[in-house]
Amino acid sequence: MYSERLKSELSKSRAEVGDLLRITKPRVIYEGVLMPKTILSSSSALTLKLASGYNVSIEYEEAMRIEVLSKGKPVEFVPAESLPEKDPTKPSVVILGSGGTIGSRVEYLLGSVYPAFSPQDLVLAVPELKQLANIEGRKIFDLFSNDVTVEHWKILCQEVQKEVRNGVDGVILTHGTDTMCYTAAALSFMLRNLPAPVVMVGSQRSSDRGSSDNYVNLMCSVLTACNSDIAEVTVCMHGTEGDEFCYVHQATKCRKMHASRRDAFRSINTLPFAKVWYRERSIEYLRDDYHKRGQGEFYLDTKMNPNVLMLYEHPNLRPEIINRLANEIDGLVMVATGLGHVHTNHFNDPLGVSIQEALENLIKSGIPVVFAPQTLYGRLNLNVYASGRKLRAIGVIGDGADWLPETAYIKLMWVLGHTKEMDEITKMMMTNLAGEISDRTINETYLA
Amino acid sequence: MRARSTGQREERQQAFKCGLEIHIQLDTRRKLFCGCATTMAEKEPTGVVVRKQHPVASELGEIDVAAQYEFLRDRVFHYQVFRNETCLVDLDEEPPHPVNPEALQIALQIAMLLNCDIPPEVHVMRKTVIDGSNTAGFQRTMVVGTSGFLSFKDREVPISYLTLEEDAAGIIREEDGIVTYRLNRLGVPLVEIGTGLLEGYSPEDVQEIAYTIGIISKSTGRVKRGIGTIRQDVNISVRPEGRVELKGVQDLGVLSKVIRTEVQRQLGLDTVKHETRAIRPDGTSEFLRPLPGSARMYPETDLPPIVLGKDFLAKIRRELPESWTKKLERFARELKLSDQLARQILRSDYLSLFEKIVNSVDVEPSVVASAFLSTLKDLEKRSGVKVENLTDQHFEDLFKLLAEKTILKEALPEILKDAAERPDQRIYDVVKSLNLGLLTESELREIVSRVLKKEHASAEKAVGLVMSQVRGRADPQMVIALVKEMSKSYR
Ligand SMILES: [Zn+2]
Repeated sequence: MYSERLKSELSKSRAEVGDLLRITKPRVIYEGVLMPKTILSSSSALTLKLASGYNVSIEYEEAMRIEVLSKGKPVEFVPAESLPEKDPTKPSVVILGSGGTIGSRVEYLLGSVYPAFSPQDLVLAVPELKQLANIEGRKIFDLFSNDVTVEHWKILCQEVQKEVRNGVDGVILTHGTDTMCYTAAALSFMLRNLPAPVVMVGSQRSSDRGSSDNYVNLMCSVLTACNSDIAEVTVCMHGTEGDEFCYVHQATKCRKMHASRRDAFRSINTLPFAKVWYRERSIEYLRDDYHKRGQGEFYLDTKMNPNVLMLYEHPNLRPEIINRLANEIDGLVMVATGLGHVHTNHFNDPLGVSIQEALENLIKSGIPVVFAPQTLYGRLNLNVYASGRKLRAIGVIGDGADWLPETAYIKLMWVLGHTKEMDEITKMMMTNLAGEISDRTINETYLA
Repeated sequence: MRARSTGQREERQQAFKCGLEIHIQLDTRRKLFCGCATTMAEKEPTGVVVRKQHPVASELGEIDVAAQYEFLRDRVFHYQVFRNETCLVDLDEEPPHPVNPEALQIALQIAMLLNCDIPPEVHVMRKTVIDGSNTAGFQRTMVVGTSGFLSFKDREVPISYLTLEEDAAGIIREEDGIVTYRLNRLGVPLVEIGTGLLEGYSPEDVQEIAYTIGIISKSTGRVKRGIGTIRQDVNISVRPEGRVELKGVQDLGVLSKVIRTEVQRQLGLDTVKHETRAIRPDGTSEFLRPLPGSARMYPETDLPPIVLGKDFLAKIRRELPESWTKKLERFARELKLSDQLARQILRSDYLSLFEKIVNSVDVEPSVVASAFLSTLKDLEKRSGVKVENLTDQHFEDLFKLLAEKTILKEALPEILKDAAERPDQRIYDVVKSLNLGLLTESELREIVSRVLKKEHASAEKAVGLVMSQVRGRADPQMVIALVKEMSKSYR
């Protein structure tokens, strides 16, 4: 906010954001476009964009004069070129937008980020997309990825269903990267026997910069959507720090493992389905155990119970907190250490505490407790240590699973949308439904 | 004022206008937006990251997307990474860290020394660059001073702006569409100082103004030295229309020649196109392909504006280094340097090291100054010695030995040459291995006696013979005295 005096000075001269101003001070004259006030900036200064392009802030002083040289024009994007006529020889791809960096544009004058999503915008950013497919698309939401909820997942599934029933060759879903794997996992439990690829894509670098990863990611996701036969929900993002290829990850086994790198998305405990080389426009398959086009009957099953909590095991976690959860939640995912451990004070150390009893009470009251590994890599095994065997005995679910905590969380929501019976819950949880549990792990998958 | 030759006076009448942009690397410990070292010394890259860049759609219509597209389509960038000098920020894999306060402080010092207005807050901008020299596709830059001036020959030379920015990656080669860059220079803090329009000056004046800006910056003691640490661009026009930008003058000493050549070139043309030309080492220029995008600038959304508190600015102002004119006087008065030597050392890259040594080591200032000014230049010119290999530590140790009278000033060239050739050695080891330590009196007596015994020479001839054996390791006065004394007994 401007200080009172600066505010009245600006309103006296009728200066508004975007106007070209002249500010005369005793020693200097500045001319430039008035910029919007940003948070964290000084209240007694205004900011002009000078002809050189620099933003320079100018301290208010009494002897200062403000004149409007010309009024600003409202911001208008140059309309993107229209899409070419459909080419019947090319596959068709539909791009659905849900927000995130990949679906935003920078307005260069003021520097603000606008949600802007249309297939025209994407084709404008990546003209080569036109060579690969007939591209259509529409925006479903404008959301930061953290704001995506179970209700959004359901709507996205319905939109995907609409497109694949229309016979599109592939669907691309743009999404913010932070929670992309949650959405990907949720969709892979909800969309059963997909007839075509549903490829999720995002970008780690905004599209205003020449180095943005959106180019390679979009090229590879369109190639996957129209040319591959991977009829599953997948995540298609940079494979390395460089601009070489993208990995196509299985949705339930994929995790964002870095806060900012282009190659943040990694397959955990498994190999990616494929590498896509964007310059060669070729797909190199690394596995063939994926669901293929035309297998099984497609249907939508979006029943979910979102009242599930994920809790991180750590030393000193107090049992009372877990006891209090009994009236709050319908399911608990305990992100446990090592092979699947929580503190149980097995040797009755006088200084120790145990949450084992609290977990047992939850299970007795009908609330399933599902374990998942903090180590992310590896498989739970509740047989090796006595404490693990005890946990298995009280009915903890997850022994032998190599699932990710986030995937276990999504799966428990989906399973609880279908049954409340503990035996049925346990059976469904331990049955592989969307590639979330595998029965063998090959050695080259670790930290790959 | 010195007399000028008639030729120069004639050229002076050929009026031209010009503007200078001087880039100076700052000698901070860390880069501008990350924790990497600014040493630029690592030789072997630990890896290469291969990237493409793509045109960014234009909303303002300033950039020819088609030209960008064509340029970038044909190029792949190979970025070399280094263990201590590059990190994820340099690779455009992590957002920038807050602006390095050390760099901001030095830039503000220089802005104040140039009498600039300091804005109440600093806004970091992104300037689109498409030649791949910035991994992000833009350079981060910020204005820290505007509307300054410097006094020159009773006139005020206008300083339009001072910006603090990140240096670009250094290009290694471009071959078959593969452009290879070293990332260790990327992110090194740089100030860019832009003068206003300079009118009515001679080419020599403009060169002198550039030197003065350099001296003022160096007076902070915090700018880098060596080849490429100061680069300048100059805009020149002889007619109202048509302005030519000459880029990349690395040696200030050729600036007047560059200007004179360009003025003559433009006078010989019917019309002058707006264009950018690169400067060859000999001061002539060649056409440089203009790259689109230099004008596009927009806010760095990853960094909030930096509010410069009044107390913070007042503290920097209180602690400003001595002005260069005062320093010149003091060098003459206290250090007993001749006016010429004092002016030369002020211009030298070694100014702050010179001051450090004369303040801490008991050694004749003129000896230190001429070592930096003439000895190094001679070694470089005559023997092709890479003097940039010599570190501050080398010089400090060297002058300590000189002060302790372990070595003689005559030995300096040989020691420096050897140290520059094998810079990993310490000065003590160089002195030992070259056997250049000062001889003790008894060692010297032994040599004198050997010469006198063997040669039966006259005292005069004996001095010459002894000196040829002990050059750099004994004081000539002492040799004369000993020969005089000892020859008596051999007569
Ligand atoms: Zn760095």
